[in-house]
Amino acid sequence: MRIVNALKADVRFQFKQGFYLVYILLTLIYMVILGVLPVEWKSTIIPLVLFSDPSMVGFFFIGALVMLEKVQGVLQYVVVTPLRSLEYLLAKVFSLTILAIVATVMITLATYGYDLNWFLLIIGVILTSSFFVFFGFIVAVRCTTLNQYFIRMIPYLLFIVLPCFSLIGFPYDWLFNIFPSVAGLKLVYGAFKGIDFLSAAAYSVYLLLANLVIAHYVEKIFDRMATEGA
Amino acid sequence: MIKVNGLEFAYRKSPGKAIKGISFDIDDGEIFGFLGPSGAGKTTTQRIIIGLLRGYQGSVDVMGKERIMWGKDIFEKIGVAFDFPNLYEKLTAYENLALLGSYYKNNSLDKDQLLDSVGLLADRDKRVEKFSKGMKMRLNFIRSIMHDPEILFFDEPTSGLDPVNGKIIRDMILDFKKKGKTVFLTTHNMNEADYLCDRVAFIVEGTIPVIDNPGELKIKYGQKSVKVSFNGDGKLQEEFFPLSGIGRNSRFLEVLNQDCVRTIHTQEATLEDIFIKLTGRELL
Repeated sequence: MRIVNALKADVRFQFKQGFYLVYILLTLIYMVILGVLPVEWKSTIIPLVLFSDPSMVGFFFIGALVMLEKVQGVLQYVVVTPLRSLEYLLAKVFSLTILAIVATVMITLATYGYDLNWFLLIIGVILTSSFFVFFGFIVAVRCTTLNQYFIRMIPYLLFIVLPCFSLIGFPYDWLFNIFPSVAGLKLVYGAFKGIDFLSAAAYSVYLLLANLVIAHYVEKIFDRMATEGA
Repeated sequence: MIKVNGLEFAYRKSPGKAIKGISFDIDDGEIFGFLGPSGAGKTTTQRIIIGLLRGYQGSVDVMGKERIMWGKDIFEKIGVAFDFPNLYEKLTAYENLALLGSYYKNNSLDKDQLLDSVGLLADRDKRVEKFSKGMKMRLNFIRSIMHDPEILFFDEPTSGLDPVNGKIIRDMILDFKKKGKTVFLTTHNMNEADYLCDRVAFIVEGTIPVIDNPGELKIKYGQKSVKVSFNGDGKLQEEFFPLSGIGRNSRFLEVLNQDCVRTIHTQEATLEDIFIKLTGRELL
């Protein structure tokens, strides 16, 4: 199966580029900081970290991954292999999402325990991570260097992350649910604080749809990039 | 194998056309050289045939089907080695072949044997970032053939290689021809084209003024004479003799009979001379 081989290739590439070492260090730092938090803060702070970790890491890592492949010219070769655009993209999404799930489980177990809705947490992390990986790809595809990526991603990041502050409570704050990031954050929070079934289902379905739409869009821009010079 | 007819192409942000209505055919088992200076349209044409540029006008038929009608499956049948060694720097030579090789249905060629064929077997487990440019180019080359494709696209395949390794690559290209593979060679190295190609096309400013066999071109555009260098009157001398009636040329026979000839050369043109003559351009 090509997609499995693409996944293996990505995992090997990420490992050799030192991505996993960075991620392990990051996870350990989270564990230490979250571990010393007062108990009454934990159910508020931990979901926030668990939401930000896969989303931010997915967003940063996909940029770094694509830029490294671009700089080394590998992308130029990948587009002349039988690997389909969607397979290439899904391999990236799967590899980074698996990483996010492992980190989420480790951080939660080490700093919070078992008493939460694991199913909702994992669903929230998967859908958030995959959305942010696709979202990061939109920025990365337009850049030629890593520095350029780090500058260009700022407005994109603010656009998608700022609405999350609506959770503090604004008038008409339900309007912010249109942002997939807000839906993801509410799912992760719901895993810790509780959420009614209908809301959880609605956020999940909405986030899934957002993933399908962005996946389709990213596939198109990847194809365009492949035929206009990777 | 490849039939290009009336091909035109313009880049979106460029005012003029990069390719201006070129036509050529490449037969099965042929080594076809595409020669021209930088910016002439060599790489653009190659990228259109490979499928990396769309929006062309005219027809590009590859293995019996218009190029834009092919999906990604075409890459099972074609191999591409770009002029830039685009490899995973942090992975070893073997890992580079194994990972990208796994995307092909035909992944049966022995990778160690391929590495050995270009003198890289001893470096199979070394990270590519530690390779010289020549080593990377050789790895780049074998990566393009590891799925045993029918058509091979090589862009300056011996660029950056020392003479020994350059010869290894040239011999391998000739070997593909023996196996019936078709080779599309893009280069500005006229000696290489002369040595390898069955036919060459000169491309200048998006047009092809001539397509022919290198041997025919050299005879057609060369001087029909012989240059003889010989020792005479205590110094090295040179004289030119027309080929026509040379067996009856008394002066030529006299020089030969003096037993002091150093060299004799027919004055066929080099491909480079012909290129400059026909296009008015240098090959840089």
